[in-house]
Amino acid sequence: MSVEFVKADIPWITITILLPLVAAAVLMFLNERFAKPVSIAVSTIIFIISSYMLLTYDPSSYKIQFYEKYEWIPWLGVSYEVGVDALSLTLYWLTALSFLVAFIWSTNINKRVKEYFVAFLILEAGSLGVFVAWDLVFFYIFWEAILIPMFLIIGVWGYAERIYAATKFFIYTFFGSLFLLIGVIGLYVATYFQTGELSTSYFSLINTHLPFTLEIIFFLLLALGFAIKVPMWPFHTWLPDAHVQAPTAGSVILAAVLLKMGTYGFVRFSLPWFPEASKYFVPVMFTLGVIAIIYTAMMAIAQTHIKRLIAYSSVSHMGFVTIGTFALNDFGVNGAIITMISHGLTSAALFLAAGFIYERTHTYEMSKLGGMAKFVPVFAVLFMISAMASVGLPGLSGFVGEFLSLLGTFKVSILTATLAGLSLIVGAAYTLWLYRKTMFEEELLDEERLHKWKQLKDVSTSEFLSFLPLVIFMFVIGIYPTWWVNLIQKTTEAILFKIRLLGG
Amino acid sequence: MSVIEQLVSGLGMPNFVILIPEIIILLTAFTVFILELFTKNRKVISSISILGLVASGGFILVIMLGILKLILTPITLKEASSNPFYSFIINNFLENFVTLYGLYVVDLFSLVFKLFLVVGTIFVFIHLRPYLEAKQTYYAEFYYLILFSLVGMFIMVSSPNLISFYIGLELMSVSLYVLIGLYRKDYKSKEGAYKYLIIGGTGTAIVSYAIALLYGRTGTFDFKEIAQSIITLESVDVGLIGGLVLLLVGLALKASAVPFHHWAPDAYQGATTPITAFLAVPAKIATYAIILRIVVEAFPSLTETWGFAWALFAAASMILGNLVALRQRNVKRMLAYSSIAHTGYIVAALAAPTGMGFAALAFYSIVYLFMGAGAFLLLASLEKNKGWNNTLDDFKGLAKREPIIALLMLIFMFSLLGIPPTVGFIGKLGVFLALIGYEVWWLAVVLVITSIVSAGYYLKVVANMYMYEPSNNSKINVSLVEKLSLGVLAILVLILGIYPTQIWTLTTTISSLLMAGVGR
Repeated sequence: MSVEFVKADIPWITITILLPLVAAAVLMFLNERFAKPVSIAVSTIIFIISSYMLLTYDPSSYKIQFYEKYEWIPWLGVSYEVGVDALSLTLYWLTALSFLVAFIWSTNINKRVKEYFVAFLILEAGSLGVFVAWDLVFFYIFWEAILIPMFLIIGVWGYAERIYAATKFFIYTFFGSLFLLIGVIGLYVATYFQTGELSTSYFSLINTHLPFTLEIIFFLLLALGFAIKVPMWPFHTWLPDAHVQAPTAGSVILAAVLLKMGTYGFVRFSLPWFPEASKYFVPVMFTLGVIAIIYTAMMAIAQTHIKRLIAYSSVSHMGFVTIGTFALNDFGVNGAIITMISHGLTSAALFLAAGFIYERTHTYEMSKLGGMAKFVPVFAVLFMISAMASVGLPGLSGFVGEFLSLLGTFKVSILTATLAGLSLIVGAAYTLWLYRKTMFEEELLDEERLHKWKQLKDVSTSEFLSFLPLVIFMFVIGIYPTWWVNLIQKTTEAILFKIRLLGG
Repeated sequence: MSVIEQLVSGLGMPNFVILIPEIIILLTAFTVFILELFTKNRKVISSISILGLVASGGFILVIMLGILKLILTPITLKEASSNPFYSFIINNFLENFVTLYGLYVVDLFSLVFKLFLVVGTIFVFIHLRPYLEAKQTYYAEFYYLILFSLVGMFIMVSSPNLISFYIGLELMSVSLYVLIGLYRKDYKSKEGAYKYLIIGGTGTAIVSYAIALLYGRTGTFDFKEIAQSIITLESVDVGLIGGLVLLLVGLALKASAVPFHHWAPDAYQGATTPITAFLAVPAKIATYAIILRIVVEAFPSLTETWGFAWALFAAASMILGNLVALRQRNVKRMLAYSSIAHTGYIVAALAAPTGMGFAALAFYSIVYLFMGAGAFLLLASLEKNKGWNNTLDDFKGLAKREPIIALLMLIFMFSLLGIPPTVGFIGKLGVFLALIGYEVWWLAVVLVITSIVSAGYYLKVVANMYMYEPSNNSKINVSLVEKLSLGVLAILVLILGIYPTQIWTLTTTISSLLMAGVGR
């Protein structure tokens, strides 16, 4: 399959990757009061650029757009190669949005302010890079480089058990990524032996015809790296710890951006590179996906800690992405991609809500909360919309993605689709439970809390501004999903191209 | 007529021009040696030493760039010889580069390593003076012994011959024994020196026995001739195998590969910290260089066996070094074990005896200079402060007390761990590429798993610096010069991590030249 490239007139992507790094370097030498405005300005510019790219992207055929390529290490065939197709672009845009939200939210950080924003800016550069890099060495550099700022964000600005959680996060993902690295290098070497071409470019590696056994091995190596990042059951145990300990903005980025890297990896690399192995592993992936959906939904019900509950719900939602992806048809993959975006929006909003509650009440324990709706009405509405979008209420973003995923899965395996569909009910149960336990049940409040709640302040401007874009886009996707499906349709077809050729 | 006169009249005058870097360093060493008798001015001694190194390194750099220009760009010989600079290089370094009657060779390979050895030593010198001043000791011996040791390393990387290799090795090691024990106030220093002396001496004995056996079997000391004579040997016998095995053991001992590593942690911990940096970085790089040269030049027909032996050493070093480092509370000792683990990563590349493998080895050992020296010298700067014992507790809250130093340490730690965008990652990437390209999967997997283990202790240092409150708030004194020198190392670590192209070109070139036998 040959791919068309549309060169960028202006190197937008490179600008957006370099801008945060430059800003971070400059901030190091500035007074800390500049940290926040500079970060917000930078992330706003990046968001505008990414939105411009989203709107000017031409979805009518599969082309890599805004493409840039420069030689880097010719001895190894490494070049700096960035560009977007619809999959990259949507996640790239989501990343830009999430960072904007995270920066606006981070008003009340008062511990090592400068370092906080520097770490986030570096994290932003790395995260943007992951989704747009087409050279595997650069992909890996971005993929790994984000571990350093994230490790510090959890470890320095987190809560009581932060060091344990940060280390666990780091070692888990490092473990997976090294196997990913071996897999990629193996493929690179195999390509070299086959074609004599020394190149780490995605578009060279995709043309390799591997023997079946090798394909299986490489698939598994890559899948280990991705599955830990997603995280798929049984590799998910780092996630609740990391989420619970991370500061609010850290949780937002973790849920909205970092988890997507795993599923992005599956869609981007595993499917087109290893079509036969992907088909072969469909039952395994379905099983793991369904276990993730049901088991972690059950786990979520049992939680009393708000963030832990949302963390488990994330794992559950990512299960839908997994089964959608491995349905290996248009509906499934479209659904998976839209679920990724939607989950980015909803989980970010839910973590913001958790942060909101914690900042006012200094607790994440649901038993110590309750009955807040009346005292913080604006917040209650925003929280409600986010919760409903997360549950998958039609008209909001969550519904579209999960519906398409299930539709795709249904065509392949009725049992899987049924089990996953049933667990939507459990999903509704725990999310509503979370909402009721925190916002309603006013009649159960004791005097002390009632007194405290009366002094609660509703959302501040900056908090409202960080909720706002998330909520708007939940509606945008929910009400007019056709635009998004049209956007990604050709990309999905390109991703499934080799699998289609196999037939069956 | 004396022997020398006979030689000169018979074989002609050796080419001394190509020995200029060595001569400069030797002159500097003797100048310091004599000057020390008359002055106690540390600044003078230190500046003279650094000046000598800069002169020598500058000379090497210019020549190296000239050679690279001649090799890598299509430039006709006529054009080149009309230019006096190029004709100088062609006459001396491309045609007459074997000198001292075949005992000394100055090829691109040795020049590259010499350059980085000099760079490493300059950094050690920069940190040595403030350290000695803070400890209120004064030994000019440090300066000239380091210089002598450096000359030993030069001889090692330039040796085409077992005898000159042996002389270089001895000059290096004997100077190091003294250097480690030189800090007489400290019991540990003496203990480390004594251990290193005993075990290093044993190593030397082993190497000399290996040389004797190899000479007995092949009748020559010269690497190339050994290679020739091994190919023509009809059967492999005890003499050859014994010689090979002993040589391997001797080299592994000098490179502190497991199971011959026992001297290393004590010697590293006992030595004054700048000397530890010298011991852990330049001394090791020189050893890796000679290992590479011996395998390519002397045993090209046995690379498989040789590679497998090193693969075993590498696996053992990686596993043991990383596991033991995990349990250390003292950061200096931890880094000593980490350096053993890095020996593992570096020699692992030999398991893939291909151009790629050799290039990866050269690349990793060169870039290890920046991160390894950075980490040890950073400890040296901190150790000057009273009450600083290099324990993990001392590192608690360093980010608050001294944010710049903490940031630099963070960069070095992540580079040693091999996380992009630091150069440690590119080093490991090279080794991975070589191993997987040669289908040595098992070693690649060992490398991966031990790397993950190593995250356990490197992260511990970072976590202590950033995530704990300081246990005491006394001010930490690190002079601006030290910060600058560490900063340069850290920036190099980052820049090479993002743009390693130049060094890759360099190492790929020297490895292919070495394999092709060009330059010899």
